Amino acid sequence: MNINGITIDDTFAEAFNMRATRVVITGLNLKWAYHAANAMTGFATSVIGCGVEADIERELNADETPDGRLGVSVLMFATGSKVLMQQLETRMGQCILTCPSVAAFAGIEHREGLEIDQINLGAHLRYFGDGFQTSKLIAAKRYWRIPVMDGEFLVQESTGMVRAIGGGNFLILATSQESALNASETAIEVMKKVPNVIMPFPGGVVRSGSKVGSKYPNMFASTNDAFCPTLKGLTKTELDDDIESVLEIVIDGLTFDDVAKAMKVGIEAICALGVASGVQRISAGNYGGKLGPHHFKLHEVLKK
Amino acid sequence: MISLIFTLKSTPALKLDCSRLTPNGLAGLTMPQVSNLALTNNKTSPKVVDIFDISGSVSENIVFKNSNTQLHFIGHKMKHGQITIEGDCGDFLGANMQGGTILCNGNAGDRVGDQMRRGLILIDGDAGDYLASRMIAGTIGVCGSVGKLTGFAMKRGTILLNHQPDLHASFHATMQDCGTHNLPFLAILFKSFQALPSKFSTLENQRVQRFAGDLACNGNGEILVLQP
Repeated sequence: MNINGITIDDTFAEAFNMRATRVVITGLNLKWAYHAANAMTGFATSVIGCGVEADIERELNADETPDGRLGVSVLMFATGSKVLMQQLETRMGQCILTCPSVAAFAGIEHREGLEIDQINLGAHLRYFGDGFQTSKLIAAKRYWRIPVMDGEFLVQESTGMVRAIGGGNFLILATSQESALNASETAIEVMKKVPNVIMPFPGGVVRSGSKVGSKYPNMFASTNDAFCPTLKGLTKTELDDDIESVLEIVIDGLTFDDVAKAMKVGIEAICALGVASGVQRISAGNYGGKLGPHHFKLHEVLKK
Repeated sequence: MISLIFTLKSTPALKLDCSRLTPNGLAGLTMPQVSNLALTNNKTSPKVVDIFDISGSVSENIVFKNSNTQLHFIGHKMKHGQITIEGDCGDFLGANMQGGTILCNGNAGDRVGDQMRRGLILIDGDAGDYLASRMIAGTIGVCGSVGKLTGFAMKRGTILLNHQPDLHASFHATMQDCGTHNLPFLAILFKSFQALPSKFSTLENQRVQRFAGDLACNGNGEILVLQP
C-alpha cells in the first residue's frame, strides 16, 4: 500500500490485554487541574518500569465535570488489576490529595458493552482525615470530604476499571530525525482528539522501541536493533538505505476500535504530509504474533 | 412519572401515623390492600381510604396532597423512592429514614429526620424543634426558619439552612462554629437538587457558615448556614 508516496508495510501491530481506569480531575482553574494531572501521569510511560501507562486524555468543560469546574480526564493502564489499584492509590495520595484546589471523580461509571469493576479512588485516602473526614452519598454516589489545609479535598469513593488494550503502535521511518519528529508531532496532534486513548510516552512518541530478550541474561527487553539506523550494516536490518531515523507511537485504548481509530487518524495525518516530508515508510512493531492477542493490521486499519 | 397520590379529604380530628405509607412499606401491595391499611395501631384505627382519596398506582413515588400538620411519621423508615408533600406535615418527618428523598413544600413539625441514617429531606418552609435530633447520617435542607435545638445529639450528617437561625435559641452549646467557607461538595449536592421540584433546586452559592456537632456525640455532623 502506498499513500502520497509513503509506503505502508503489510504488517501488524501486536497489542496486549490490559486493565484501565479513568479519573476526572477538576481544579480551581485549568492550570491547577493540569498540575495535578501532570504529576499523576508523570513517570508513567511504560508498564515495564513504571507500573502503569498513564496520560491526560483530554480537557473537560465545566458542564462535563461532576462539580461544574474545568478539568481534565486521565487514563491509566496496567497489566493487571492489582497493580492498577496499587498505582492508582499511590498516585492519588501523592499527586491529587497534595495538589491545591483539586478534586477527583470517577471517570468510568456506566458504559454499554463494557464489564466494569469498581476500584478504590478515595476510599482509603479518607483515613488521611484522621477521623475528621465525612462522606456524602449524593445521587447514589459516595464522596469523601477530607479536611486539608486549603479547605476540603473532595474525592469520589470509587471509580470503574475495565478491560482494555495496550501496545497498539506504528513506526515512522524517515530520512532524518527531524523529519520523523515533525511527522510524529503531526500525528499526535490529531490522535489526541480521539477519545478513550492515550499515547503514554514523552510527547506521545518513543524512540527506544524494544525487542523481546537480550544478550544479557537479566534483561528481558532490549533495543530493537532491526530498526536502529546506525546498525544497518551490523544486524538483520528492516531499514532501507535512505532511512536515518525511526520513531514509534504507542497507543493504549479502552477498546480495539478506539486504538484502531487512533492509529488510522495518526497514519493518515502523516501520509497527508507526503513523501516530501521525509517520511518514507510506515511500519508496526510486533513479536511475530505470538505474544499479544490483538493484531492491528495496518492495511485493514486504514481501510476502516 | 407514575405516582401514588394520597389526597387528604379533610383535616383529621386526631393525629395520624403515616409511617406505613412509604415506597418500601407499600411495595408489593395491591391498591385495595393499600386502601385498607390502618393509620394507627388500635382497634378504631381509621383506614387509609377513610382519610385519603387515593389515585395512581403503587410506585416509587408517593405524593401527599392537601397535607397538614396532623400527618405524622411521613417517610418513617423509608428506604428508597421519593415522597412529595404538598402542604405542611406533622412531627417525625423522615424519622429513621434509610434512603430515598422526601420533599415538603410547606412547613414540617418537630424532630424532622430523628435518627435518620441516610437519604435526603428538603423542606421549603419552616421546620420545628429538634430538627435532625439523633441524626446518624444523611442530608436535611430547610429553606425557612428552624425551631429550638437543631441537630441535638446528631452524630453525622448535614443540615443545610437557607435562613440565618437565631443561634442562641436554635443551636445547643455543643454546636461549634467552624467559620465561613466555600465547600466544594456543595456543587455536587446542589447539582443533584436541580431536577427536584423544590426551592433548593436553584441554589448555587457554595459559601456557608459551618457549625460542627453535636460535640456530645463525636461532632461529625454539621449545620451549614448558606451565606447571602
